[in-house]
Amino acid sequence: MTTLPSVGLVAGSRRSKRLTQRSRAERWAPLLFLLPAALTLLTVSVYPVIDGLRLSLRNTMLSTQEDAFVGLSNYVRLTADPDFWSAWRHTMLFTAASTLLETVLGMAMAIVLYETFKGRGWVRAAMLVPWAIPTVVTSKMFGWLFDGQHGVVNWLLMQTGLIDGYVNWYGDSQTALLTIIIADVWKTTPFMALLLLAGLQTVPHSLVEAARIDGAGPWQCFWSIRLPLLFTTLLIAGMFRALDAFRIFDLVYVLTGGGPADSTEVLSTLSYKVLFSGLDFGYGSALSAAMFITEALIALGFGLFIVRRMRRDNG
Amino acid sequence: MTDNDDHVGKPAAVGRRQFLKAAGITASGVLAAPAILKFTSVASAADRTNLTFASAKFFGKRTVAEMVDVFNQSQSRILVRYDELPPPSSSTEVHQGLVQRLAKKDGSPDVFTQDVVWIAEFAGAGWALPLDEYVTADEAGAYFPGVLAACKWQGKLTALPWYVDSGMLYYRKDLVSKAPETWEELVAAATDIMKAGKAKIGFSWQAKQAEVLICDLVEFVTSNGGSILGDDGKTVHIADDAAVEAVQFMYDTIEKYKISPPDVRSWDEEPSRTPFTGGDVAFLRNWSYVYPICQDAKASSVVDKVGVVPLPHFAKGKSAACLGGYQYGVNASTKNRDASVEFLKWLSSPETQLLFATELGLAPSRPAVFDSAELGKAQPFMQTLKPVFVGATARPVTPKYSQVSLALQSAVSKAVTNGNVADALKEAKAKLEGIVGA
Repeated sequence: MTTLPSVGLVAGSRRSKRLTQRSRAERWAPLLFLLPAALTLLTVSVYPVIDGLRLSLRNTMLSTQEDAFVGLSNYVRLTADPDFWSAWRHTMLFTAASTLLETVLGMAMAIVLYETFKGRGWVRAAMLVPWAIPTVVTSKMFGWLFDGQHGVVNWLLMQTGLIDGYVNWYGDSQTALLTIIIADVWKTTPFMALLLLAGLQTVPHSLVEAARIDGAGPWQCFWSIRLPLLFTTLLIAGMFRALDAFRIFDLVYVLTGGGPADSTEVLSTLSYKVLFSGLDFGYGSALSAAMFITEALIALGFGLFIVRRMRRDNG
Repeated sequence: MTDNDDHVGKPAAVGRRQFLKAAGITASGVLAAPAILKFTSVASAADRTNLTFASAKFFGKRTVAEMVDVFNQSQSRILVRYDELPPPSSSTEVHQGLVQRLAKKDGSPDVFTQDVVWIAEFAGAGWALPLDEYVTADEAGAYFPGVLAACKWQGKLTALPWYVDSGMLYYRKDLVSKAPETWEELVAAATDIMKAGKAKIGFSWQAKQAEVLICDLVEFVTSNGGSILGDDGKTVHIADDAAVEAVQFMYDTIEKYKISPPDVRSWDEEPSRTPFTGGDVAFLRNWSYVYPICQDAKASSVVDKVGVVPLPHFAKGKSAACLGGYQYGVNASTKNRDASVEFLKWLSSPETQLLFATELGLAPSRPAVFDSAELGKAQPFMQTLKPVFVGATARPVTPKYSQVSLALQSAVSKAVTNGNVADALKEAKAKLEGIVGA
């Protein structure tokens, strides 16, 4: 008799051991499945960022073979570098202006495309064409459109009497950045419109109908029902667009090369010049780090807004 | 150099070249395509010294790879493998590719080609083998003096000339009876032509914030007796009176004399060329690639109306043409020094230069080759350029050329846009001193 319980005990502990073994396997299996994704992220995303930060603390220059730890001196140089600050201002101005214009125009396009009309499917598809065109092609196209001598934009403005002399669009430091903003708005507004259209479709139609029955006009429906319900989508789309606009490179690189008189030099083109023309990896990495920090701050600002907004919506 | 080289030749035989290259790597003699048979008959000699030759991609009727084949077949001691870099229009990428290879210091490539503005950088880093002991004074004297000077770093010859290109003045023979020799004459002639309504634009040049702006800058400043850096590569002369006057003139062509439209501020080579071949421009500063386009009836309305002369100069200076072109160098860590030098000398020999001129349209860097009858037959226009190339002037010679160029592009673009020439150049001087200063 006395042996039985002990046998039972032994069997029980064995079973529990088997159980813990199984649960351990169950605990590890998901992690194992996550491993490839984690490794990929680590190698292509985390490692380059950390290595960039490491390089920004050195004076690595490929052509002179210098490579020593210099502490924060690259960052000290950065804060006193007028070229960096002017590029920073251009980038911020471009980001703010293009994001704002694209959001407003995209909103208008989305509202039109939300309504049912004949051929809507075609219009929705055609709308995406500018966005699908490679940016280099867009740049060349706007180069011709806005050409100071033979550009069709100048010709049209002259015909309509809006200007009394040809404007030297991207050859003048006053208008060059504006030209680039116009090109970017033309290219990316459809993308915003698409995101906002998707958002509009989540607004329950019953709400709008109820409001109409209560006598609300179309303007009131938009301001009091659609826009508030669309606000979170608007913020998320705006964040995407702002982060993307901040990295502007190809339009500038092809159209103006940063000129004239540095008036279109943005952070991406400046760091490309320092990194790959000058092969000055140390200072170039400090520039990239400054870009990274600014982008992180923009994302954080939007993120806080979005979270607060969502809490309010849900609570 | 600049974007001009991609216009030099006609696309031809690219597929075949890549094919050849692939065959070279696998060294397989199994496939029976005629092109490969030609190659493998050479590759079979296993006891030959193997060299690697890295060069930007050029092509005309023939390609650089095919020129390498010519060498491989001409002798049986050395076998050269061609390591193809991007075309010279992607200058930044070619530069990167070379720096990455040379910085490894493993002796590969043994021989390479370099843009004239990288010579000091590669020599300063100790990557380019000094060639003085292999090139006699007589041999060195057979090149254009400006090109040879650009191949030297701190008195040592570290590169050997390949081909030359430079800035030059295109003018409309039907509008001007005599080409201008000074900038003053050019302004006067251009103003008259514009007043008479014979051309919309008097003088077209390139002021886009890009490398070509520095080429134009060198020409204006040097033709006023000034310079950008001193001969030691460490003193900065960009804010001296001669340079300030020259840059002021660049601004004045747009705002004071109005012979150049404000659009030149966004023009590099091609945008400045199109109105000229369209018949709207009296004078154009550009590279040698423009002439064949002028003479092509399909692309040009000024066929047989165009003349080419050395660029004008100021009263107290001499005509100066910004030197472009690629030059040869030998890797300082090559394990086959003698074979490399032999290949190098073959590449730069008069016969090979003639071949490059007739087959790829690259102008020789030896004046003697210009006088040969074969060149006169194959490239009659190129032959007429000899006087232009004699005055070719190097851009600032410093191992930190890229940084110097970027700082100058920004400053000179500001000067010709805003007109605050003295201030912009003073600022540039301070920046350059920070870059090249001892």
